Amino acid sequence: MKKTWIIAGLGLLMTLMLQATEPDGKKTSTMPEYGKWETFTTKNGLPANKIYCVRADGDRVWIGTSHGLVLYENDEFRTFTVEDGLAHPGVLSLDVSELTGDVWIGTLGGMNRYSGGQFTTFTQFNSGLANDVIYSVVCDGKDVWCATGGGAGHYNTYTEEWAIYTERNAPMHEPWTYSVCAGDNKVFIAAWGGGVIEYQNETGSFRDYIDPDGEMEIDLFPDDGVVHDITTAVSHANGILWVATYFGLSRYDGTHWKGYFDHDSGLSSNFINFVKANGDVAFFCTDEGLTSFNSEEWITYKTTETGGERVYWKDGNSSTKTDATGIAHNFTIGVDFQGDHIWVATSYGLSRGTRIN
Amino acid sequence: MIRIKSILIFGSIALVIAVGLIIGHRAARAHVKYMTAVDDHPITCWNCHVYTQKDNFIAKMMNETYVSPYNLTISQDGNTLYVVGQESNEVVLVDPASERVIDKIAVGERPHTIILSKDEQTAYVSNQWADNIYLIDLGNKQVFDTLTGGSGPAGMVLSQEEDYLWCVNSYSSDISVFDLDTHKERRRLKAGNNPVSAALAPDGSELYVSSRRSIPVPHMTSPITEMTVAGTKYQRVTDRKMWKDAYIMENVRVTPSGDLAISTLIRPKNLIPAVQIERGWMMTHGIGIIERKENGRMIQLILDEPNAYYADPFGLVISPDGKRAYVSHSGVNMITAIDLDEIRKLLEESTDEQLAIYANHLGISSRYVIGRIPTGANPKGMVLSPDGSKLYVAERLNDRIAIINTQTLVTEKTIGLEGPKRRTVARHGRQVLTNAKGTFQNQYACYTCHPDVHEDGLVYNMAGTDMGRNLANVQTLRDIGDIPPYKWNGKNQTIYKQDGMRFSTILTRSEAFSHKELDALVAYIITGNKNPPNLRFNPNGELTAAQERGKEVFYRDFDNFGNEIPVENRCYTCHPPPYFTNLEMTDVGTLADSDDPMKFDVPQLNNIYESAPYLHDGKAPTLEEIWTMFNDDDEHGVANDMMKDQLNDLVEYLKSIGDAKNYMDEAMVYEASVSKKNRSKK
Repeated sequence: MKKTWIIAGLGLLMTLMLQATEPDGKKTSTMPEYGKWETFTTKNGLPANKIYCVRADGDRVWIGTSHGLVLYENDEFRTFTVEDGLAHPGVLSLDVSELTGDVWIGTLGGMNRYSGGQFTTFTQFNSGLANDVIYSVVCDGKDVWCATGGGAGHYNTYTEEWAIYTERNAPMHEPWTYSVCAGDNKVFIAAWGGGVIEYQNETGSFRDYIDPDGEMEIDLFPDDGVVHDITTAVSHANGILWVATYFGLSRYDGTHWKGYFDHDSGLSSNFINFVKANGDVAFFCTDEGLTSFNSEEWITYKTTETGGERVYWKDGNSSTKTDATGIAHNFTIGVDFQGDHIWVATSYGLSRGTRIN
Repeated sequence: MIRIKSILIFGSIALVIAVGLIIGHRAARAHVKYMTAVDDHPITCWNCHVYTQKDNFIAKMMNETYVSPYNLTISQDGNTLYVVGQESNEVVLVDPASERVIDKIAVGERPHTIILSKDEQTAYVSNQWADNIYLIDLGNKQVFDTLTGGSGPAGMVLSQEEDYLWCVNSYSSDISVFDLDTHKERRRLKAGNNPVSAALAPDGSELYVSSRRSIPVPHMTSPITEMTVAGTKYQRVTDRKMWKDAYIMENVRVTPSGDLAISTLIRPKNLIPAVQIERGWMMTHGIGIIERKENGRMIQLILDEPNAYYADPFGLVISPDGKRAYVSHSGVNMITAIDLDEIRKLLEESTDEQLAIYANHLGISSRYVIGRIPTGANPKGMVLSPDGSKLYVAERLNDRIAIINTQTLVTEKTIGLEGPKRRTVARHGRQVLTNAKGTFQNQYACYTCHPDVHEDGLVYNMAGTDMGRNLANVQTLRDIGDIPPYKWNGKNQTIYKQDGMRFSTILTRSEAFSHKELDALVAYIITGNKNPPNLRFNPNGELTAAQERGKEVFYRDFDNFGNEIPVENRCYTCHPPPYFTNLEMTDVGTLADSDDPMKFDVPQLNNIYESAPYLHDGKAPTLEEIWTMFNDDDEHGVANDMMKDQLNDLVEYLKSIGDAKNYMDEAMVYEASVSKKNRSKK
């Protein structure tokens, strides 16, 4: 019996080694692939089919819809509404504090903290919140950052001090901000018309990254900076900042910018609603499907009339695989990861995919 | 001739003296009448002019620093009591067998709680007014480390493995979790409003944290107070139990078997007219019970009886066998002994509907109250001997520990803590303030609505007989001696009037305090009530960048458009330092339809951060809402020109304002500045 286990273990090890290396000894890509898509809609218990955001939280998944916040736990959906304490039915953004486990919820009518089964509401009237339209919320240690229609800002949960950053005190074009993310002791803000604003936690200072060519219609000089000043989302992981716009994608490694477009890469569309990096792989929610990219190869997940498809793109070569299942809708808005699962928020339903490689 | 001359001279002098005495007496009588609003208060000059002195030589002569035992714990062998001296800033070690104080350890400002490690090598003392926790080596009685976390550290527990210390922060309303390997704060969890006590379940899995103030509730609704439940495995808040119609949950404990979590509480009926207190049942006092099982219920049971109330429950201990609980009632100098098995039986046989009725049932306590034990003044924390045979009670305002035999329910003896021998007038006043005997059937003490001599965050229907009219947000009693008038409508020119005839007429519906009690009460209120240091928002007197910007907004003369702000609409006009009140009556446009026409006494802003809700009727739950919701026409200062970040800065500055003594220099600068402006205008 013991021998059998040893042989099985060695076999598994060999398999893994073979999978992880090519004949020339180079490491293969770690690009995850997802399939076996499941779709959840109102028929499954969701309060609405328009899903704005999704956030995995251990065994649970939080889902923001146009008609309430949903908790998916133990294969059941539980909806929270305004009657339960939600600031507004339209839940645009979600994050979970690693420090406290509290869920922070950005809505169209204020921000909530969900903790211990209770909602606390912060609005522009009862607190220092800049504006009640919360496009993005992210927890960074004891700070909760949000991007709102009236500026970005953060709430220090220890001192309860609110800070607001607008064009009055930060290098922004206007107060409208769409997204915020944290990484490397910095915070990055996607500012409408203002590119990306970087905030240094240590010094409290700002710098901005704008499109150097200043062109709104085209990216005149490739890779000279963020591809467009109208930015929609940012995500930071492993030292890489990903910047989404409605006009293409940017990758910034701290030194170099690189632009990507639907005509010269595997990006399914230049119209990017959301970006989320998971380690070395970034996922882009576009109006034409969900695209993933590990800085070498691209995979786009789409729904089709017969199910779904995976579109592969690498070095200009493209191929497609069809699947029996696909994402709920090609207009994708949010994405998050839960072990071997990927959750995708779309304009018509919530999708869950399972890793297949 | 000489004799006649002498008679005339001495006669004239005597006449002058007599006339002087008569006039002086009449003037003194008029003065005393003005100050007390009654005709019969004795003309005793020293009561007002000596006992009420503060911060000077006379004050030092008149007053004493007492021990004021607050909380206590006991060694596992039962041979040593560790008593927190809240006022003397020390831990007093007491040998209950020999009835002697055996040692004293100096600790930080206003210590709150002491707990011991299992090996009894280390004591942890939370210093509520110093924002830190002392770690004391009980071998050499020395402080060997200090932990810093949130503001106002109070109740504490050690995790079962003693690898984490959980500390409740009463001012910042959160819970610090300290890693005892690194001695660093690992995380901070949001708790209820003004949390004070923590208890660990016997299996160590859950922590219960009781809080005193209500969470923000819609205006003109009854309070809801949170008990926070944290899971210790992941150090997360797992539940927030909401106690409806209750507040001031001072202490929480879990039974040894873990079946019940119990906390003291008060059930105020603050929205009914206070003058109806003589009908009874306005303030009731009891315990909240959580059944620790799936779908466990939350039950409130009162400890009062028909015609007898037991105000201000504070301490709570449970016997080692889990069959009894003891509650100290600091407002009536009494301990209640409770039969927990009887309560268990009651819970088992009662439906939810019946239990809801029992929450207001004055007769139900006869089922489970098995004894009442009188104590000395203001009983607070308690601890049982390891075998449960003795109950030790901290008699805060007698500087004693009472020892009660739990079999006979009789106080066997008391142990003095070597505090001052004499009772000062202010100390007497403190005893009056904390005692409910002056209220109809002992329903409440001054302290009930003014816990820690502050305010309880509730809105009361005080002055009328009609429901919902003239609601009044309770105001602090701290450091108010120099800022008359009193009451929101400014009708009381002195504290004597506020606490004398008015108190008995409106609030207690019983006999007024005796003159001696009133003198003492006023002396205490004027001299004995400091603001806690504002360590949370202004720890060292240096303002943050946001607070500095907010200060500029506070002292501004021009709005964002360059228009000069009318003098009466500038913040500092009505709120000048050091108390940030001009002592005037004013209209800020907040009068409600339910109010009689009136102006309002400008409130002070010292430590305003801990006085939510705001405005005279408490309709603004946060400082922001004063201007975002209730200042449409800029009557409460010009603010509608401000950007949101400016309002945030102003709020940050307001929260930074601390005790008046910190603003004496600023007041002089302010006055000089105002004089200069006035001169230049002329």
